[in-house]
Amino acid sequence: MNNKTTITIAFLAIMAFLPLLADSAWLSIGITFLVFAVVAFSQDIILGRAGVFNMGHAIFFGIGAYTTAILNVHFGLEIIYTIPFAIIFSAIIAVLLAGPIIHLKGDYFLVATIGFNIIFEQVLSNDIFGLTGGPNGIFGIDVIRIFGYELFSDTAIYYIAFGLLIITLFIIRNLDNSKYGRALYYINKDEIAAKSMGINVPYYKLFAFALGASIAGVAGSVFAIQYSAVSPESFNFMQSVMFFAIVLVGGSASLPGVIIGTFVMFVLPELFTEFKESRYLIFGAAMVLTMILRPNGVWPVTFGNIPKFLRPKKGAK
Amino acid sequence: MEYVLEIKNVSKFFSGLVAIDDLTINVKPGQIYGIIGPNGAGKTTLFNCVTGIYAPEKGSIKYKGKDITGMPPHKIAQMGVLRTFQNIRLFKEMSVAENIMAGYHTKSKQKWYHSIIHNSFYKKDELESWKKVEELMNFFDLSDLATTPTGDLSYGKQRKVEMARALAASPELLILDEPAAGLNENETIELTKIIKSISEMNIGIMMIEHDMDMVMNLTDYITVINFGKEISQGVPSFVQDDPRVIEAYIGSDDENDKEDANGK
Repeated sequence: MNNKTTITIAFLAIMAFLPLLADSAWLSIGITFLVFAVVAFSQDIILGRAGVFNMGHAIFFGIGAYTTAILNVHFGLEIIYTIPFAIIFSAIIAVLLAGPIIHLKGDYFLVATIGFNIIFEQVLSNDIFGLTGGPNGIFGIDVIRIFGYELFSDTAIYYIAFGLLIITLFIIRNLDNSKYGRALYYINKDEIAAKSMGINVPYYKLFAFALGASIAGVAGSVFAIQYSAVSPESFNFMQSVMFFAIVLVGGSASLPGVIIGTFVMFVLPELFTEFKESRYLIFGAAMVLTMILRPNGVWPVTFGNIPKFLRPKKGAK
Repeated sequence: MEYVLEIKNVSKFFSGLVAIDDLTINVKPGQIYGIIGPNGAGKTTLFNCVTGIYAPEKGSIKYKGKDITGMPPHKIAQMGVLRTFQNIRLFKEMSVAENIMAGYHTKSKQKWYHSIIHNSFYKKDELESWKKVEELMNFFDLSDLATTPTGDLSYGKQRKVEMARALAASPELLILDEPAAGLNENETIELTKIIKSISEMNIGIMMIEHDMDMVMNLTDYITVINFGKEISQGVPSFVQDDPRVIEAYIGSDDENDKEDANGK
């Protein structure tokens, strides 16, 4: 068992037992942490692995949340059945938005995605087709029912979010050990070399987008379930900046890095609510310092993920 | 099929300036074809046209009889034209084995859903892929360095990893851009042997090289270019004594060129 597996198991074990110790205030912080960790991990597929400067990740989180809200409140669909739509819509929107600009270089791409995020927020706030509810959003989202059981307690929602995190980590582990996952790293490290090895760069970048967006979409659904309401400011540009910063500050493609990043950005402010207003000041300073002192993030990724039979025997060197 | 690569009357301009001018080159399978000429003659530009990094303005490039002029780089690579780079483009933070795996990308049959769910097909494909990497690491004597990040390796080792990566794609045309640059004498001798044995696998090899001893020993046929134009073509012994070639090299201040090439 290697280091990474140990950390993952220890982390999941702590998270699994947290509801036994926590009161309801802590539990809801726990849910927030889980949901935002999933979104951060999904951004880590796009930004940390494919290396695409996506500054609009809150869009896909929002598409998921609003899909669940609209289908449930306006069309009366059971929550559980809205989730496949949240996945598919997020992936489709991701490909439609990123497709035409996928050839742009890092900084240009980043500016374009900021534009998308601003437009998205405007669309939500202006109650397009009378579906999005305007600046106040959508209220009165139903509780989730699975096999006739109503799962409305915080503990139940906590474990739904926890399950989603496990699935996300499972997908990421499988991704990292596959042709597609490796292609993303190659593109990130040297795009010209990747092309020259026969890797279709735009195709793999869009794949990363579709996969990252669909995971963020499910997280959005869970977010909507948790608050039984959605509103535009949860999916604005500032949220995208947060998801972007978590990955870079924590460490691209690094599991502990993303967890630390999410904890610092989303959980600490909840613990120190009296400082809530000044939190951006502290984060801003933390981001600047990390980039100066540890440009690869607090906990950078390590490579060398190859099968055992290829590893040189110890002492052979 | 007589030729693996046919470059016919190819020209490339950069904002009105001629980078390569009406070049015609034919490479046979298993042949080692040298491209030489002073710095700035357009050699790397020619390679970039063949591999799709640039699209030539005039002329045509055919690979195994199929027109590949202006095709995107990844398509050309998928067809079997692989390359190395003058300034080494490895994935520095990644291990030797992972780097070589990049070359196997086009051979792996995994689909998008294999990155989410690992089934028995995935397992078989993944094992086959790593076996190929193992084979290449043995061939290039890199097995002990499998987990070492390529950025930590010596120049000579890095050049070998880059070649192993290109070979992992089972190319039929291998394009080497100054493979001996920065290597010491022993490493150059080793490299010469490797290139020879690659050509014996019936892979066509096209190489730019400034090390004249190596070029004269290794290549079967040479084109000399200067200011983008062909000034001579033939077997090494002919090119070596061609007055036009001697003039181009002396006329272009040969000593400075050599220093530039070695200083890189």
